[in-house]
Amino acid sequence: MSGRHPSATRDPLPAGSPHAPLGVLEEQVVVAVLRARGDAFGMEVRREIERATGRELAVGAVYATLDRLEAKGLLVSTRATVDGASRRLFAVTPDGARALADTRTMRERLWHGVDLARLHALAAG
Amino acid sequence: MPIVSPGTPPAPVPRLAAALLRLLLPRAERDEVLADVRAEYAGRLGRDGAASARRWLWRQVVASAPALLGWSWRRAWTGFEPPANAYSPGGPMLRSWIADARYAARRLVARPGYALVAVLTLALGIGGVAAIYGVARPVLLDPLPYAHAREVGSFWMPFSWTEQEFLHLRGRIPGFRQVAAYTSGDVTLRDGDAPARLVPGLSTSAELFEVLGATPLLGRGLRPGDDAQGAEPVVVLGYGLWQELGGEPSIVGSRLRLDGAERTVVGVMPRGFWFPDPAVRLWAARPLDPEGQNGSYSLVGRVAPGVDVRRLEPQLRQLTAMLDERFDYPADWDKTRDAAVTPLREALLGRLHPGLIATLGAMALILLIACANVAALMLGQVEGRSAELAVRSALGADRRRLTQQLVVEALLLGVGAAAAGAVLAAVGFRVLARALPIGAWGESARFDWTLFAAALAVAVVAVLLVVLAPSVSLWRGDLRAGLGGARTAGIQGRGGRMERGLVVAQVALAMLVASGAALLVRSVRNLYAIDPGIRTEGVAVVDVAGDRDVPSAERRRTLAALLAAIDALPGVRGSGAALKLPLRGGGNSFDVRVPGRPDVEHTTTFFRVATPGYFEALGMTLRDGRMFDASDRPYTPADSVGFTMSILVNQTFVRRYLPDRNPIGVVVEGGFGAPQRIVGVLADVAEGGLTDEPTPARYYLASQAPWWGSTASLVIRTARAEDAEGVLDAARAVVQRVAPDYAVQEATTMRRVLDRAVGPARQIMALLSLLAGLALVLGAVGIYGVVAHFALRRRRDWAVRVALGLRPARVVGSIVAQGAALVGVGIVAGVVGSAALARLLASLLFGVGAVDPPALAAAAGALLVVGVAAALVPAWRTGATNPAVVLREQ
Repeated sequence: MSGRHPSATRDPLPAGSPHAPLGVLEEQVVVAVLRARGDAFGMEVRREIERATGRELAVGAVYATLDRLEAKGLLVSTRATVDGASRRLFAVTPDGARALADTRTMRERLWHGVDLARLHALAAG
Repeated sequence: MPIVSPGTPPAPVPRLAAALLRLLLPRAERDEVLADVRAEYAGRLGRDGAASARRWLWRQVVASAPALLGWSWRRAWTGFEPPANAYSPGGPMLRSWIADARYAARRLVARPGYALVAVLTLALGIGGVAAIYGVARPVLLDPLPYAHAREVGSFWMPFSWTEQEFLHLRGRIPGFRQVAAYTSGDVTLRDGDAPARLVPGLSTSAELFEVLGATPLLGRGLRPGDDAQGAEPVVVLGYGLWQELGGEPSIVGSRLRLDGAERTVVGVMPRGFWFPDPAVRLWAARPLDPEGQNGSYSLVGRVAPGVDVRRLEPQLRQLTAMLDERFDYPADWDKTRDAAVTPLREALLGRLHPGLIATLGAMALILLIACANVAALMLGQVEGRSAELAVRSALGADRRRLTQQLVVEALLLGVGAAAAGAVLAAVGFRVLARALPIGAWGESARFDWTLFAAALAVAVVAVLLVVLAPSVSLWRGDLRAGLGGARTAGIQGRGGRMERGLVVAQVALAMLVASGAALLVRSVRNLYAIDPGIRTEGVAVVDVAGDRDVPSAERRRTLAALLAAIDALPGVRGSGAALKLPLRGGGNSFDVRVPGRPDVEHTTTFFRVATPGYFEALGMTLRDGRMFDASDRPYTPADSVGFTMSILVNQTFVRRYLPDRNPIGVVVEGGFGAPQRIVGVLADVAEGGLTDEPTPARYYLASQAPWWGSTASLVIRTARAEDAEGVLDAARAVVQRVAPDYAVQEATTMRRVLDRAVGPARQIMALLSLLAGLALVLGAVGIYGVVAHFALRRRRDWAVRVALGLRPARVVGSIVAQGAALVGVGIVAGVVGSAALARLLASLLFGVGAVDPPALAAAAGALLVVGVAAALVPAWRTGATNPAVVLREQ
């Protein structure tokens, strides 16, 4: 993994995280874990994403994604008691952070040069 | 609207949804996720109301299911368990199964020989059963394509009712709502300038489709009046023929040239409809003649729903009384006796059952043998793993878990075998459809996905059977004792009782199949040993059919031209024609009156009309008098009075009617109207079926018979026996050139006519012999496996003995004796079972009893030879082993 910031270079194939780009839900989950700052358990992550996207999410999909991300080493969980109930609290690992950052960089590179004014005009019909 | 305050417990979640989620969730996360769902549900209940909350919940269950299943699967497959769950690992039971599957897959890959033999052995059984199921299903299981199938029955004495009888009874047959009469009515079809071709059809009264409850796809069926004399000739087409003629709906109302006359197409039957068999492709309304006396009709009738057609005795008594009142029957054709109605299914398909069931049964036996084989192999594997199993058991694995592993291994083998079996079934399907004696059903059998479903279902059953023996052995044995034994493996070489039991079972099953095949072989040999009284080698047969509305005189002229052209073909020694050939079933009978024998009133003989060359071509033997010759002058219309025909009769005719007289010159009556003078006596010929008792027969000269039918069989004798097949193409060409209005119904050889007369037994014999061969091979593999395992287990034992001076030949002898003993016990068990099996074959047997010592001896001998040969290989290998090598091994 290179230490340089990927966006600082024009290298067409930068060496990035092997997990990037993350899937849409994966990306949303990692971002939600970051935003929750320590209180990231399943229900909180789901609510955070639903609040931000305004869409209903399947509970099972969120928990399964959290578990998959941990299996990949992008998140790590510990057990804690929150409001009297045992919960898995999630935190982002350095690998997870790199994967998320790389995902964002890739997306930005992809968006580079897109005429946003024209896009909005198109979308407005 | 209820408000949920933070202090109150959340509202209960609907039970079913909660249970489904609980089922799908890994154990460690179950409470957390369900608490999340409950909290959200309670919030929504307070905010949006009960209905909305419930809808949300069910959306959650449905949308979460795939993700949750994937989650469980991934954890089980990868073994990942988050450290946070250290004391409460997740994962449902699926996990242990997946772990076992991985282990079993590794074991099978490490033992490719075992895996391959097991999969192929099972695949043979599974594929065979699935293929026969596929072919037999339309005959044995599929419902008949008629709405009224359950209410329809077929009358007794089929193919013998006359139009006169039917019209006399029509509309007033007690117990029946409607009755239809039908007879075969193959027609020639002229389509444009193409040569005439024959279309298998049925001539029927108008009630047929209503009796059956069959609705046409296009147009209409037949309706009352269509079968009246002088009505417009109409025809209903089968789906296949309609497709061949273009498949346009506009065919309804159009006209087709059938049998030289125009007929209007009034309807098309749907795909899948057949009656009385799938070969028939059109149904024509037959103008019924109240005086028609041609006895070739069959009757089918429909009763009221809920009435059993087999329970109509009182009604049939009334019916026979009606017949008795009006008609006077000869003893052989007395319809007032033995009146009975057969359910339609049995009448149409019943005769096909014995052969199919015998083949299906033999194939099921092969599958059982294959299962026993694989079970024995697996048992050997379990025994070979006894040390490993003992260690696992000592470490805490319970028997349930060890059995589960066996089941998983068997399931893996089963899946492989089902896949291979399905491929085998697909390949074998067509071959079987042709090889089984099911006629048109074989031609119309279609291969479809149900065959794969069948293969899978059979595979599951096979897996359960296979796993039975090893599991029992696992539950019975003392696993830990194996741990002690492992250190001295080889010295104590007993055990394997169940393995031997399986081999005995295999041999017994193989004995069943082999003895069944042997019975049929003997039976078929007996059938071929019957002398039909005619030459069957070097004779070609061409059946032709012409238009119906052609005068007999013209037919005779065409026929003479045809025969002359055929005689001119290279390699042809002579030819002739007859209305009906021997060995093709009875029929065509006339009553006979013999002077001085008033007691033979009301009896009939076969009548056969032929050209002079016919007798010579078929090699019929003259016993007395003379053959037809030039002195037998042709009949002319002017001869209607005072003309005496010349006839030949067979020996049975003489024996029965003129036992004490010289038959030559005797004049008999009955039949064509004119008196008939016997000029010669022929040796008996199997004019009906091959196995029929000899029946009196009269032979007429074609030129003297007042009429000649629209169909004829040409017999062509070739100079060399092997040319009979080769002359057929040339003969077809002659028919097309000389008689373009004639269609060739069938071009075959007399040998094949004989083969067909031998009947289904011949085809079943071929199949069963093949299966018996397969059973022998599988049995040999089983014996080989068990004996090899036995020899291996006692290897050290033998080595010690040989080291102490035992001759290696004794080692070989002892091991072979073990194998032979197993085969012997199996044969004895098989002999007992084969008596029961033979009853199943009874209707196919001729001249052999169900328990036939030579057949049993042949089957037993074959099994013994194969068994000893299979045991010899491992025995010889053990005998040739250097004891020093074995003793140094441990």
